Amino acid sequence: MSSSRERILAAAQANKPAETPLPTVPDFGGDASVERFTEVLGSIGGRVVWVANPQQLGPVLRQLFPDAQRTASPLLAATVPVNEQTPTDVLADVDLAVLPGEIGVAENGAIWLPEVNMLHRALPTVTQHLVLVLDHRRIVATMHQAYAQLPSTGGYGAFVAGPSKTADIEQSLVIGAHGARSLVVLLY
Amino acid sequence: MTHSSRAATFVADADRTTWHDETLWFVRQKRDKAVYAVPEFQDLRELASQIKEHTLSRLDEYLQQFEAKAQRNGVHVHWAADAQEHNAIVLDIIRRHNATRVVKSKSMLTEECHLNPHLIGHGIEVIDTDLGERIIQLREEAPSHLVLPAIHLKKEDVGATFHLHLGTEKGNHDPQQLTEAARQHLRAKFLAAEVAISGVNFAVAETGGVVICTNEGNADLGVNLAQVHIASMGIEKLIPRLSDLGVFTRLLARSATGQPVTTYTSHYTKPAEGREMHIVIVDNGRTQQLGRPDFRASLKCIRCGACMNTCPVYRRSGGHSYDFTVPGPIGAILSPNIDLKKHSSLPFASTLCGSCTDVCPVKIDIHVQLYKWRQVLTEAGEIPAAKKWSLKFMGRFLASPKAFGIGGKVARTGLRLLPYQLTHAKAFNAWAVARELPEPPKQSFREWYARTVE
Repeated sequence: MSSSRERILAAAQANKPAETPLPTVPDFGGDASVERFTEVLGSIGGRVVWVANPQQLGPVLRQLFPDAQRTASPLLAATVPVNEQTPTDVLADVDLAVLPGEIGVAENGAIWLPEVNMLHRALPTVTQHLVLVLDHRRIVATMHQAYAQLPSTGGYGAFVAGPSKTADIEQSLVIGAHGARSLVVLLY
Repeated sequence: MTHSSRAATFVADADRTTWHDETLWFVRQKRDKAVYAVPEFQDLRELASQIKEHTLSRLDEYLQQFEAKAQRNGVHVHWAADAQEHNAIVLDIIRRHNATRVVKSKSMLTEECHLNPHLIGHGIEVIDTDLGERIIQLREEAPSHLVLPAIHLKKEDVGATFHLHLGTEKGNHDPQQLTEAARQHLRAKFLAAEVAISGVNFAVAETGGVVICTNEGNADLGVNLAQVHIASMGIEKLIPRLSDLGVFTRLLARSATGQPVTTYTSHYTKPAEGREMHIVIVDNGRTQQLGRPDFRASLKCIRCGACMNTCPVYRRSGGHSYDFTVPGPIGAILSPNIDLKKHSSLPFASTLCGSCTDVCPVKIDIHVQLYKWRQVLTEAGEIPAAKKWSLKFMGRFLASPKAFGIGGKVARTGLRLLPYQLTHAKAFNAWAVARELPEPPKQSFREWYARTVE
C-alpha cells in the first residue's frame, strides 16, 4: 500500500508542469435580496413562507403539514426524539424534520445546514419532508460569500437547495427521488 | 470495432437518434440560459482553469497535504496505483466489516475500475442508488453519459425494466410513478446497507474533506445511514482551498444541466461518532497523462458533461458508441491515454467544430487535443490504411493547382454525365449514404474570376 503511495507521489512530482500561480478569487458582489432568494428557490421546487415569530412555529407547521404525525426538531416540541445515536428504523419513520439553517444563498436558493443543526446526519435526507428555518438577514448573494462566512465545514455539512429531485427518466423532472419530498424555508 | 461502426447500430433507429439529439440539445440550451444569467461566468471559467492548472503544477504537495489533513480528521486514506488495487482495497474494507450489503452513489471512477463485477463476484450485493445508474444496472448496461447515465433510454424502456425487476404494472411508463417505485425499492436498500461507497466531486487539500454533489440525495442518505463510508477519488479531484468551492459550485450544475446548483452539495470531513470513513486515492493512468504536455489539461475536467451535450457527433451517435467509461469529446481525449490501440477511432469522432471547448467550464482545449491525438495516432500507425492513403493522396492533390484544376473539371463533367447509381453508390461515396450531392456548377471559381475580374 505504501509503495503505491510513494509511486504515485513520485510520478506526480516527476510529471507535473512548471508551477503556475494560484489566483485570488474576487467577491463579485451580486443580488442578496430576499426577493431573489425566494424567486430562485421557487424555481427549483422549494418554497418560502414568512413567519412572524420564530419561537412559535407550531401553528404554521400544522397548517403546512396537517398530516405530519412524526416530527423531529430542535426548535419545537417534537414527537420523535432524535440524536446521533438514533437507530435507522426510528429515523426512517420521520415525516417532518424542522431544522435551523445557517446561511441562505440568493443566486441558487441553497441553504447551509451544518451537522450540529441536523440532530442526526441522515435526518435531512431520510425525512419525508424538510423545513429549514432561516433568519432573512443571513442571506448572501453568491457561493463565494457563503464560503467566506463559513468558519469551517465541520465534520459534515451540506448546502441544501430545494427538495430531492431527478430527471433520469427521459429528462422528466420528478420531485422526491430519495431524499426529502419537499422543502419549505421558514424565513423570519 | 470503431466508433463509426458502433454508431451505425445507434443511428439505424432514425427516430430515436433524432430524439436523443434533441433531448441533449435541450440540456445544452438550459445550460446557456443558466450561464447567461451570471455576468461573471467567463471570469469564473478562467479562475477555475487557473485553480486546476495550479493544483496540477503542485499535485504531489497537495496530495500530501490532503492526506495529512484527512488522517488528522480520523479518515483512513488508501492509495491505489490502478483499478485492480482500488478494487482490492474496497473489497478488503468491506470484508473486514463482514459486510455483504453495499449501496453506491454515482462514481465514474468505480465504473472505470469495474468495481461492481469485482464485488459481486466476491458475494457482495452492490446497489447503484442514483436512479439513472440503477436503471442501467438492472439492464446490465454501461452509463451512456457522465451525468445522465440512462439518457439513451426512453420511458417505455424504463417501464419495461421496472416491470421485470421491481414489479411495476406492465405498460406503466409514467416517470412520476416509476420514480416512486424506485424510491420505495431503494429505500429498503438504503436502510439495510452496511457500507456506502461514493465518488468525489472535489477534494479540498486545506480541510482534508471531500465534496459530493447530487440532486437525489442518494449519496447523503447512503453514507449517513451506513456504518462505513468509502469515497473513491482520482488524484485530479483536488482543489487547494475551501473558498475555491465558491468557483466550482457556481460552474458545475449550470454547465451540466442548467440548474443554479445541485440540490445537495455535501461536505464530508470527519466520520460520525462511532463510524468509519475511508478515502481511496486512485492513479490508474492519471500521472501518465500528467506527463504528456499536450494532453495534461484533460485532468482539469470536473465531469459536468457539457461537452457531450453540445457535441454534434455525440448527440447523434450515443454514449455507447464510444465504448469507454467517459464518452463524448472529453472521453475521446482521455481514452487514448489508457489504450491507444483500442480507442484509436475516438479522436476522429469529432467535426473539430470547437463547441466542446467553448462550453467547457474549466477551459480544456478539447478540440485542439482531439486534433493532436490524431497526429499521435497517425505516427503510431494506428489509423486504417484506407484513411492514411486517401489523406496522403488528397494532400498531394490539393497542393497541386494543376491537378486540382483538372480534377475539378473532371468532377463537374463526370457528375453531369455519369448515372446516378454510380455517383451515389454507397460503396464508393460514403457522403451520399444519407445526403444528396450538390448540383455541379458550370464553371470553377478560377474560371469565373478569369472571365469576370481579369
